[in-house]
Amino acid sequence: MKGKKGMVLWISFLILISISWATPAYLAEKSPYKIGVNLELTGPWAEVTKTVKMAMVMEVEKINAMGGVDGHPLELVIEDNGFDLGRAAANMTKFSRNKEIVAVVGPFEDNLQATTRAIAEREGITDIIICPSNPMVRSLNQRWSFNIAQSDIIVSQKLVDLCLARGYKKILVFPGNWPLALSLAEYFKRFGEEKGMKVIISKETHKPTDIDMTPQLIKLKPIIESEKVDALYASTGGPPGPIICKNMRTLGIKIPIIGTHAFGFNFIIALGGEAMEGVEFAAGKPVVPYQLDKDDPVRPIVIDFDKRMRARYGVGADQIAGHAHDTIWLIYDALKRCQGKVTRANFRDALENTKGLKSCHGIYNYSPTDHDGLTKRDLVFIRIEGGKFMRIKFPGFE
Amino acid sequence: MTPWAYIPQLFSAGITIGAIYALVGLGFVTIARASQIINFAQGEFVMLGAMITFFLLKGGGLPYPLAALVAVILVVIIGFLLHITVLYPLRKASIPILLMATLGASIFISNTTALVFGTLPRTLPAFLGNQPLQIGGIFIVPQSLFVLGATFLLLISLYLLSHRTLLGKAMEASSTDPLGADLLGISRNLMVFLAFGVSAGMGAIAGIFITPIFYTSYHAGTLIGLKGFVAAVLGGWGKNSGAILGGFVLGVVESLSIAFIPSGYKDAVAFVILLLILYFRPKGILGSPFIDSRRW
Repeated sequence: MKGKKGMVLWISFLILISISWATPAYLAEKSPYKIGVNLELTGPWAEVTKTVKMAMVMEVEKINAMGGVDGHPLELVIEDNGFDLGRAAANMTKFSRNKEIVAVVGPFEDNLQATTRAIAEREGITDIIICPSNPMVRSLNQRWSFNIAQSDIIVSQKLVDLCLARGYKKILVFPGNWPLALSLAEYFKRFGEEKGMKVIISKETHKPTDIDMTPQLIKLKPIIESEKVDALYASTGGPPGPIICKNMRTLGIKIPIIGTHAFGFNFIIALGGEAMEGVEFAAGKPVVPYQLDKDDPVRPIVIDFDKRMRARYGVGADQIAGHAHDTIWLIYDALKRCQGKVTRANFRDALENTKGLKSCHGIYNYSPTDHDGLTKRDLVFIRIEGGKFMRIKFPGFE
Repeated sequence: MTPWAYIPQLFSAGITIGAIYALVGLGFVTIARASQIINFAQGEFVMLGAMITFFLLKGGGLPYPLAALVAVILVVIIGFLLHITVLYPLRKASIPILLMATLGASIFISNTTALVFGTLPRTLPAFLGNQPLQIGGIFIVPQSLFVLGATFLLLISLYLLSHRTLLGKAMEASSTDPLGADLLGISRNLMVFLAFGVSAGMGAIAGIFITPIFYTSYHAGTLIGLKGFVAAVLGGWGKNSGAILGGFVLGVVESLSIAFIPSGYKDAVAFVILLLILYFRPKGILGSPFIDSRRW
């Protein structure tokens, strides 16, 4: 009996071995296309980059299950940069010296991406940036860098539309004291004044680490009252957004609040609680997958992605996961369209020629003069009601 | 509009934030009074109190008061553990080494929290809603009154502990006169051990009371701890009343400064005030039992 048991084990072991040998042999018919991923997996962005990683891994597996890119599987080479400039630069250099890597995704933080973009230019490798970028870096129009997220320009245009639709004539902007927030404020003023609105940018600003905006808002309150401001635009991101809303309501300031696309995350509502009721902003489509128009070409993609995220990870899609999804499918699309052999230069040219690619956030079009991809039509208006994101529509403004 | 018009509202905002600095400062003082150690992990106790409450409330489904109580007990245990694992083995080392050890412990606690609870900022529900009370043109959230109340209750209980109980007196003696305490048979290690527990508990209570007004995240402890430390030094290092007064002075000055200068310089103001007070009165406002002013 003992011998028989041993035999069975032995045979099953042999079968296992042969299967595990056979699988890579079958897959390795064509070499994988490797994508470097340079993310802040540890440090303050850990939660956000975890979502990015989850979504990217899921989409790559889906593509590989579909047979990869013309038989070549995609492979992610993920490196943590620990929210550290030196390590982000080292990862980027490492990726660029590894001849197998076709393109790099990330990093997130402003100054980190400024550095890797510069390395990308020097080494001639595509760098795809997920997080909205510092306008000073974005305006460099670097040849090898592509932005996935909505730029400050289109978000400002869309918010001006929101104000026009709501009939707001006079807006007070309370900006955060960092480049992206300040640039959102500046563009909002420029586009708003073109449309005949009066936009006041407050001299009082706030920092990402401020836990209490009451003092600044106390100083703004008389301006709001004497100038009869229609709404306050909190040009900010992260925890300061809900803090501003909370502090405003505490001070008895009742005017409507307009936010940025950075308000479109569930943790923002959790932080602000009741104070977030009635806040309106423009954000990417993954915030409200099921409220998109029935004829929206993007709707089935977002809903399918949201369902797969829920099934696999138990969390729905959000804007960040959407960016990660779009990144992978943009890469897939560009690889498919590569002329001849896939090289870094061919890949870059193919990505730059992306036309009308439908993905979670909207329809991507890149060109030699536009590395931003999306337009203001890819944003939707959102209002926070009952602790949920509700899509709002205005005739003539979508 | 003249800056004077918003002084009352700024003053009340300053009182709230001052009460928070005072609460955190008290924790620093408790340990200093027992051991002369500056515990830089104090801010982490504040953060842990709020974080643990949040997860017991949302994840564990406990009722709010019970969640808060369990969190305070857990943080007290963490305070004891901090003493047993970090400071007790180093009891023969000099004060600067202990100081570095607490700094290391603070980084360890904050990163462990990030691993366990994640890096997203969290907040707690207010005890009695968010509807602001309007008193003569000044708006106040009910939670601010709770923070003020907690500050005074803690101050009174600390006063009773150190002036009315043998234990409290023993704790103080072990710091001000270590040799005398030894001769009287007071176990100094036990006193420091207890002080860590008391201080951790106070930090946790502070965290639970203030988080509904703001929010907390794994790295929130560092800044709040620093401000609490400044408050304690400002008022008189080593005095409970000093920490309270220092906290209020710091909060009010920080808040009022906004009326006259742009808000970007708010944090700098606190430190300029600290420097000025330390130049002219190194003992702090109320004087410090640890700093001998004759040297200046």
